[in-house]
Amino acid sequence: MRIVNPTFGVAAAGGDKVALKPINWATDAIALMSNSKPNARELLDGIRAKLGATRAVDNIDFHYKNSASQPAPKDLIEKVAANYRGALLAIAD
Amino acid sequence: MEKRGITAYVIATETFKPLVLAQAKARKVEPRLIVVKHPIGGLNAEELRERIEAATRGLTEATTK
Amino acid sequence: MKDIAEQEVIDIGDMDVEAFNEFAAEQGWSDGMPLYVPTEEKVAKFVERVRGDNRPFPPVPPRQVVPTLQSLAANAVMAGCKPEYFPVVTAAMRGVLDPDYNLHGTLATTHSCAPMVMISGPARMELGVNCGSNCFGQGWRANATIGRALGLMLLNVAGAKPGEMDRSTQGNPAKFTFCFGENEEENPWTPYHVQRGFAPTDSVVTVMSGEGPHNLNDHGSTTGDGLLTTFAGGMANPGANTIYGKGPMFVIIGPEHAATLKRDGYTIESIREELWKRSRVHISRVSKENLETYTTTGHKPDGDWLTIGRDPSDIHITVAGGPGKHSAFVPSFGGTTVACVRIAT
Repeated sequence: MRIVNPTFGVAAAGGDKVALKPINWATDAIALMSNSKPNARELLDGIRAKLGATRAVDNIDFHYKNSASQPAPKDLIEKVAANYRGALLAIAD
Repeated sequence: MEKRGITAYVIATETFKPLVLAQAKARKVEPRLIVVKHPIGGLNAEELRERIEAATRGLTEATTK
Repeated sequence: MKDIAEQEVIDIGDMDVEAFNEFAAEQGWSDGMPLYVPTEEKVAKFVERVRGDNRPFPPVPPRQVVPTLQSLAANAVMAGCKPEYFPVVTAAMRGVLDPDYNLHGTLATTHSCAPMVMISGPARMELGVNCGSNCFGQGWRANATIGRALGLMLLNVAGAKPGEMDRSTQGNPAKFTFCFGENEEENPWTPYHVQRGFAPTDSVVTVMSGEGPHNLNDHGSTTGDGLLTTFAGGMANPGANTIYGKGPMFVIIGPEHAATLKRDGYTIESIREELWKRSRVHISRVSKENLETYTTTGHKPDGDWLTIGRDPSDIHITVAGGPGKHSAFVPSFGGTTVACVRIAT
């Protein structure tokens, strides 16, 4: 008996490798990005404070989505891409 | 973020690691994961301290290799 | 040889229905209830029904694959649909693929949301969709299987496997099926799809990622004003996503409640305005920690009150159900939209 596969689909294009900007995690600007769930900010703030023992933290900045239930807006992603070389994303569930 | 050339680490709990991996597979990216104990939400400051220490340790190890 | 996941047609040898169900469960294709076998012949009959609708489907998140009409039809067959339901099912699928519906978020969330499917226009009668008594419940093949088909597509095409990509903490019985028809015949106002700009003669599917229906029981009120007090009290729920999700919600008014509101001069617009004003949540009903989270994420209270939704237009009104003094409130996931798609004929 021949059946049609209910999971079948053609893979979407994408997945091309993008060259990452070189980063020095001891000195470069880092974006801390919260998914806006409770405790995400507290977690990232705590990490930032801990990193203060080994590096300057005045160029480690906090960013968040307006809603935990929506994807990060494009302008936020563009802003982070333009101003940082590294990012730390918290998925706080 | 990595599709914009930004090196990005994701902090996820062990419970949500399979979700992150499945999503990364669908988007054809290799996630840089820092896994901590579940949960993060609902913890008080004392409980959260352990997650902060674990995440900082994970980030430091990953970025000083 | 290709992996099973890469093959559109699979030869499974000689299998009876029970063996197929075991096989399907092993593949992760099942919602837990028995499935029809999606043979090539059955699938072809379904696809024939949508031959005029050639718009390609976009990649379906979170799995990011582009489905074929055959693979979508296989899910509708498995759900127990009749071939004539398939244009409704594909319209519902197009609805959840509206970028503002936020399919990825609604499937991967820990929230309990499920796709609410509402059918408007002539297709309701043509397909035997229940719009009256027990319209959210059991007993009608169209309601049961159209909603189920969409759920199976989200499992199998979108990849929302419970515990993996679907991370709902507790889930929701509406994830099996949540499909009903508008009761346009007993709606004293404008049918929902006409409110949204469609012609009364159009058949339309409306989808929203929502919780199951919350009952709004009011046998005692004899005025529209009294009914709105009860409705607003049921909507002012500090445990729903409405405060910080700030998204759409449905109030599905039972025909008897609708008649009372109409008699007292209420319109859809004035119902929305009244419910918006009265359904706010007092800060005394919200924990200190939650209030702090709301405030720091852009949802500051207005004085001592937190609003649900962004403005009155987030409250969507329709009529469904049969005799009795009940209505229903369906809050949404929050970060989503109410998408309407005309059913291709």
